Order: sequence, then C-alpha cells, then structure tokens
Amino acid sequence: MQERVAEPAGQRNGQGGQKELEEQVLRTGLCTGCGACVNLCPYQAIYQDRTVLLHPCDLAQGRCYDFCPRTPTDRDALRRNFQEAADCTPELGAVKGFFITRAADGNLRCRAQHGGSVTALMALALREGLIDAAVLVEEGEGLLPRSVTVTDPNEAGERGRSRLVVSPTVAEFNRIVRGDAAKIGVVATPCQAIAFAKMRALPLSESNAGIEKLRLVVGLFCGWALSWRKLAPLLKKKTDIARVIGMDIPPSRYHTLEVYTSGETIRVSLDEIDPCVREACRSCDDMTAEFSDLSVGSARLPEGWETARGWNQVIVRTKQGMDLLELARRRGVLEFREAPPGNLEKLKAASLGKKRAAERFFGRDVADEETTQAG
Amino acid sequence: MSLDREQKEGAELLLMGNEAIARGALEAGVRVAAGYPGTPSSEIIETLSRFSEAGKLYVEWSTNEKVAMEVAAAASFAGLRSLCVMKQNGVNVASDFLLHLTGSGTRGGMVLVTCDDPGALSSVNEGESRHFARLMEIPLLEPSDFREAKEMTRWAFTLSEAIRNVVMVRSVTRMSHASGNVVLGALPEIAGKAAFCCDGPVSDPDCGPVISTPVVAKHRLQQEKLRGATTLFEESPFNAYEGPEDPELLIITSSVCTLYSREALSLLRAEGRTGILKLGTTWPVPPALLKKRLASAKKVLIVEEVLPFLEDQVKILAAEQAHEIGIKEFYGKNDGTLPMVGELNPDLVAAAVGRILGIDPPSVPAEYREKLTALTALVPKREQTFCPGCPHRASFWGIREALQRDHRGGFVCGDIGCYAMASLFPAAGFHTAKTLHSMGSGTGIASGFGKLGPFGMEQPVLAVCGDSTFYHAAIPALINAVHHRADITFIALDNSGTAMTGFQSHPGLEVNAMGEAAPMVDIAALCRAIGAPVVVGDPFALTETRETLNRLLEEPGVKVLILKQSCALSPGKKGKKTFLVRVDETLCRGDACGCNRLCTRIFRCPGLLWNRDRKKAEIDEVICAGCGFCAGICPAGAIRNEEAAKS
Repeated sequence: MQERVAEPAGQRNGQGGQKELEEQVLRTGLCTGCGACVNLCPYQAIYQDRTVLLHPCDLAQGRCYDFCPRTPTDRDALRRNFQEAADCTPELGAVKGFFITRAADGNLRCRAQHGGSVTALMALALREGLIDAAVLVEEGEGLLPRSVTVTDPNEAGERGRSRLVVSPTVAEFNRIVRGDAAKIGVVATPCQAIAFAKMRALPLSESNAGIEKLRLVVGLFCGWALSWRKLAPLLKKKTDIARVIGMDIPPSRYHTLEVYTSGETIRVSLDEIDPCVREACRSCDDMTAEFSDLSVGSARLPEGWETARGWNQVIVRTKQGMDLLELARRRGVLEFREAPPGNLEKLKAASLGKKRAAERFFGRDVADEETTQAG
Repeated sequence: MSLDREQKEGAELLLMGNEAIARGALEAGVRVAAGYPGTPSSEIIETLSRFSEAGKLYVEWSTNEKVAMEVAAAASFAGLRSLCVMKQNGVNVASDFLLHLTGSGTRGGMVLVTCDDPGALSSVNEGESRHFARLMEIPLLEPSDFREAKEMTRWAFTLSEAIRNVVMVRSVTRMSHASGNVVLGALPEIAGKAAFCCDGPVSDPDCGPVISTPVVAKHRLQQEKLRGATTLFEESPFNAYEGPEDPELLIITSSVCTLYSREALSLLRAEGRTGILKLGTTWPVPPALLKKRLASAKKVLIVEEVLPFLEDQVKILAAEQAHEIGIKEFYGKNDGTLPMVGELNPDLVAAAVGRILGIDPPSVPAEYREKLTALTALVPKREQTFCPGCPHRASFWGIREALQRDHRGGFVCGDIGCYAMASLFPAAGFHTAKTLHSMGSGTGIASGFGKLGPFGMEQPVLAVCGDSTFYHAAIPALINAVHHRADITFIALDNSGTAMTGFQSHPGLEVNAMGEAAPMVDIAALCRAIGAPVVVGDPFALTETRETLNRLLEEPGVKVLILKQSCALSPGKKGKKTFLVRVDETLCRGDACGCNRLCTRIFRCPGLLWNRDRKKAEIDEVICAGCGFCAGICPAGAIRNEEAAKS
C-alpha cells in the first residue's frame, strides 16, 4: 500500500539491515548481546541479556547490521585503523606493552574484580578530564547487570564486580552519544570493543554521528559470558541469588566457578556451568579485547591464585592506552610489579586456543563441537 | 425512520429488517425479550428496549445466549409471550438448553430469532442456524422481505402456542440490515399476569412441572405437534409460487434469495420460462405443496445461501414421490451450480440460471467496465484496523513489546470482539493473537496450553478477553485454569461496554438494557474470588503495561491483568480529545530518522499520516481521537501532546 523508498539514515554502502541481522546473527546464535544494534532506532531492544526485535524493519541497510561485531568484518582493516603494524602479534593483536598492575587503593580493590585496575583507570580518566563520561556496568536485579553512565570519578569505584553476564554497553553508548557528554570512555568486552571499532572505522556521517566522542576503550579479557536465563535458575538452586556479591573463575586447573555471597563462597563445577555459556561465545576468537586501547584481565603469578587474584594483567595496545597507563603510574593510582617470565606466552597460548576453537566452531557442525573454555 | 410509541396502526414506515422483526413481536404482545448482542441481530433487542415498560415489556441483554434463552423460557413457562434473539453462533451457545427446552415444550408463545451472517460480513464464521431447527425438531420460518419479517414474527408466537414449542425465525444480514416499507399493525392491549403453574402431573402441559421427561413420550408428542405445524404450512401464505404453470425450470428458494432469484430472472428475461417457489416455512417443508410444484417441472434449481439445507429436504421429498412425479434434474450446491460458501447475489443466481437455460447473461457494456475500472482505482485502499484512540491498539502494542522482550515465543490466544483484529493483520504492530475461535475460547485454549509445560512447551501463554466476553463465556475457562494451575496470563481488555456491536450494556456496567440503574459485577473482584492475583492497569501507560506483563510472564499459575480504558467511540469519550496531538516538524526527521516510519508503518493508527511531499509524519486532526499514545512511541519525540481544552 505504501510506497517504500529505501533511504537509510545517511548514505552508506552497508551489506544488510534488520532482516540480515536476524538471519545471520540472531537466529544463528551468534548474538553477543553487546547492544550495538540497540538505541539506534525503535526496532531492537535488550531485554535481560538478549537482543530482541520489537517490530520488523524492512530497510535494506541499517546501522544495526553495520555495527554488529558478528556481521562480516574486515579485522585487518580495523587493525590498520587503530594500531601500529609493528605492535601486532598473531595471537594477541597489538601488544605495545604487557604489565601486571593493581589499584593502589585497597578499598577499591575490595569492591572490584581482581586488582581493580579497570576501575582505577576509569576513575583516573574521569578525574583528569580525559573523558567526561564513563560507560560502566553495575549490578542490577538478580545477577542481571546493567550499563550505566558515570560522570563522577568517585562513583566509578562503586562498580567493577563481574557477574559473567553481558551488559549492553554499546546500547548505553548509543544512548548517551546523542546527549551532552563530549568525551566518552567505555569498559568493553572483546565483542563490544569490535563493535566500537566498526563504528569508528566507518567514514564519519550521520550514521555514526558522535563516534568521535569515543575517547577511551578499556577492554576486558573474556573467555565466555553466561546466559542469564540459564545461569539464574542454576544458581537459584544453590543459593539466594539476591545475596550474590561477585563471581570469579580461578585458573583452569580448578575447573570451577566461584560464587561469592555475603556469607560464603559457593564452588560450581564448570561442567555444570558449561551449558549456560552463551552460544555466541563458543565462536568468538577474541579473548583479550584486541580492539581496545588497553585490555585487562586476571593475573597469573608464581605465588599462586590467592595472590594472583589481587592483580591484573594489562596489555597496552595503542598510544592512548600507554599514555593512560603511564599517567596512572605517575599519579600513583596503579601499582606495578614485574611480569613473571612466560606469562605473555601463556596468554598467547590461551588466546590461540580460543581462536582455534572458533575456527573449529565454524568449520564443523555446531552439535558436534566439543566444548571449549578459555576461562 | 425508527420505531416509536407514537406511530399509529396503518402507518407505512421504512423499517430496517430488525426493526420489522421487533415490531412483529410487539404486535404479538411480547412481554419478555432477552438476547446477547451480535451483528447482525443487535437492533432487535435495542428497538424493543425503547418499548420496555414495567409489567408490560421486560427487555434484557443477558450475559450470553444460553442465559437469554433461559430467561425467555421462564416467561413462557409463566404464560407470557417471549422472544430471544441472537446471531447464528449464539444458537450454538444456547443449543444445550434448546435441546432440553424443545423436549419439555413451552407455554406462552416463545420465538427464537437468529440472524445469520452468510459471507461472514461481521463474523469469524458463516455458521448456519437453520440446521438447529431440524436437529431440535422445531418449525423454522424465513422471511423474504420486510413486511414478511414483521408478519412472520407475529405469527410465530401463534404457531408456538399451537404446537406448545419454540418457533425459530431466521434472518440474514441482508434482511436484518436492509430496509423496506412496512405497514404497522395494531399493538395489543397488554394483559395477563405471570404465574408458573407447576403442581399438576408431569403429563399436564398446562400445570405440570416443565421437564423433558418422560423423554420418549414427550418426544413423540413433540413430533406430533411438528406434523401439525407441517399441515399448517401447506396452506401458509408465507409460501408462494410465481411463474408459468409448467416452467422449464423451477427455482425453489427462501429468504433474501427470493429477491435475488426474481432479479436474476428479470436480468435474463427468463420469467416466462422459469417459476419461483418461494418458501417461508423452510423446516419442515410442506410435502404436498412441494409435490405439486415438482410435478410441474423437469429441472429444479435450489437457491439458498451456504449449505444445501433446502436442497437436501427437496431431494428427499422428490425421491419419496419419484414414482408419481418422475425423475428430476437437480441443480444447486451439490453439483456446483451455486457456491456452498459466502453470500449469493443476483449475478450469481443469473449466471446459474443462464447456464441451465442456455441464456447468456446480459454483458456489461465495455465503456461501463472501463469507467468502473477507472473509478475503482481512485478508491483508497483501507485496511481493517483499530480506530484512532482505540485502547486495544495500545494494549496490544504493550503486549507485543512484552512478548518480544520475553523472547520465548509467547503468544496470545485471541477471542471475539474488536480485539480479534490482533489475529488478523501480521504487518501491524498489534499483531499478537494466534488463535481465534468462539467467545471465551481464547481462555479455554490458553488453559490447555498452560498445562503443556511438562511436555516441553516453553512459550508463555496469554489469553485476551473483552469485558462482555468475560461475562459471556470466559469465567468457566478461567476457573478451569485456576483450579488446574495452568500457567497463563489472562488479560481482560475492559473498554466498558459491548463496543463492537454498539455499546450494549453488560454486567460490568451500572445500567441495563432498559436504561435502569443496575448493580455492577466487578471483573477484578470476580477474578480475585476465583483465586487469581489481579493487576489493574491503563493500556495507555505503555511502560507500566509492558513491565507488568514481563513480570507476570515469569510467574507460574494464572495471573490476571485488567487493562481498563473505555472505547474511543463510547458515548462518554466520542468527540472529546484528551490531547491535541501534533507532529513537531523540526523534530520529525522523516526518512532520515532511522525509525523507518514506525508510526505509520507499524503503529498504523489511522490518525497518523505520512506526508509524501514533505516526507514527514503528520496528524489527521479530523479523525485523531487525541489519546496521545503515539507520542510515547516516536523515538525522536516529534509527536507532541498538548492538553486539550475541556469542553
């Protein structure tokens, strides 16, 4: 009845719209819930930790498809955009430097995951005016995290615990980019970092308007994330999930997920957790958030896990990342210790393991795929 | 012109078929009339309600058709003339009682008027009530014009008293809703006290208890009375033959098909070769009359709508009499001469007659056809949709958003009312309902789906139900769901009236069919009494509706959400805007927005227009009802609500 003229917002040469996004990403289980396709238009939303289509959109091209980290992506082109060729490694992407750090503030470490380096860096960036808004994750109801924007550096310290469930950080960025914030920093999982990299790589136009406000991407190491709808019922059988204050995965030999409640620590075998892993994560080949300015994960130290869990490993990937880390050193916000020999190689091996698992995933039938965890 | 008390005997008025039927009942001295609204029947009770008067005529909109028939039957048992009125599928609802009522018999004349809807112009079925007459063994009368609609209804009461059983009068949409000239008869003096005499022996039809036992004896009596009616039908003026004594083709027809047949013969100039036997008494058909006419013709065409009801009877009689009247060639439904679905019209009948007689129907001049094609191209395409300001559109928008968010493939079991449209148009944002059957069935079906969890069904199950439908047939299904712990979310779409058929009253309102104050039966209180938790919300509060639903979908058992907002066309709301809604052109970015015309492409309220020249949305101020709901869906915030001045 109505004539349809495909006039997508801004002129792009995109490869698809909502229909292709649905066919190639949502129906195939590749969606990571990063939120890149959300808050651009009224057609997609995040509910719990899933991307949902509210109504059909018949445009042939859409930002939803362009920004999605799981639609076809020229990774090499993205690297050339942001990273120096000399820094690139096949296993970990760009490595400008490798560090073991922790937040100098012990209180902050208590409230954060591992060494609290991410929280300390975001608070520093806000305090120093490198950014004026930080997109962080805070705990929501019943283990479900939510993405929030913080402008007060003191508030950044209140957030920083992992629930191992994804939060739609890119959707929150898409929301605030239209607002007053001029310099935005984000804490991103690897998939979210790829979405941001894709948004930045597009020629500046109406379609990615505001992306120049993105000044800092702090990446998180990520083996996989858990599906909330599967995890919540599992944990409800074991504890009152309202009392859960944190979760962690010790080194792989423990083969355990630790769930911290106000009273006790519950250990759940990863065999039990494995069915809760998001399908999308099994085909992800980026463990260390290669498209960030610097990326942070848990440390491995010769003293063992009890010591290591208080520290982070940091891969610096860009000049901005290095500047921020050096500023943190000068301001005494982060403490540094020497990286043990072999740590970078172990990280490379783990990262390579995830890349191979992803290759196997796409090379073989999903049902035949042996489960892999890079945790 | 509508009927009123001032009109005198002998006055000739242009009356709608339904008004003619109502007038017939008034002229018969009807004392109690009960019905349930349903197009095309509703105007009969509405007309009678204007004549209601304490002690003389009591009129009610009953909660459903079965109750309506029971109410009317009680009046008959007490010696009063009574009428019950319903649309075709209403008889299905009433049929259990009807079976037993025809077994027990009646006292005061009792007439059942059913208005069928061939072609389903305003139904989701084209069910036939005629078959109930045969099934229940009661006489069936079918008027073929407006005069007859009145006369037949009046006589039906006399016949009912003669055979001491219910008489069925069947109309169709084109009879009920078309108008024609009717000469008014006298209205009788209303007299007679209601009393139920029930202390006599069971065999006493006047003073015994009214029950259907002893079954065989009463059944035999019923059949004897029906044979008596058949004898009366042989001489009935409602049956008439027109045409040559020895026609080449005999058309046997009834109802509005009589008019179609006459028009078809006129179109073909075949009146001299074809006769029409028009039957007003279509069950049982009078055998002697049939025999006389069948004997006169070799070829016989039966013209009736939908199923071969008359055709079957005629063929049986012809077979029984074949040794006397010879073998006939039959044309009708079974051989495909006429379609067995949908309405008939003069063109279809003319084509059928033309094929039998070898006459080409007069062709339409080419010039006329060209003009017609050019003109039809100008007619804008319109889809059936919710009215501007309709709370159902808002309710389903919220339901759809909640279901899409929930993401487990949840669906709505639909029901009967305007909101049935939620099952009909997949392109629209209100499309959520995936089943649609009879009144109250959405809840019953949901109750069944709600027990399939242990079989692996993970989809949340919702049922929607209008306020009138709730009282009609949803309550037993809801009780069933509660008692059996079915996992369903039941949503009552309460728009404060039987909106689709024209705001007839129902038990949820504080007024009855006669305009008297009446105690309101509260849906929420009823649901709580059943044991279901109840949330009451406003469908125009989108976020709240959505969040409430998403919460309820996670909870086990029966949960009730009542979305209450009166119909945009209700007398209290019509023409009154809450908001003056406008599109701020500086904010509406049109096709550059990325919204892909959510407002006109998905939301599809007729009050929203897409201006093709300016490439922006705009409000049609003439039809916008000012509900303001669309302001909440525009992602650019370009649709603005301003408080409308209170009139």
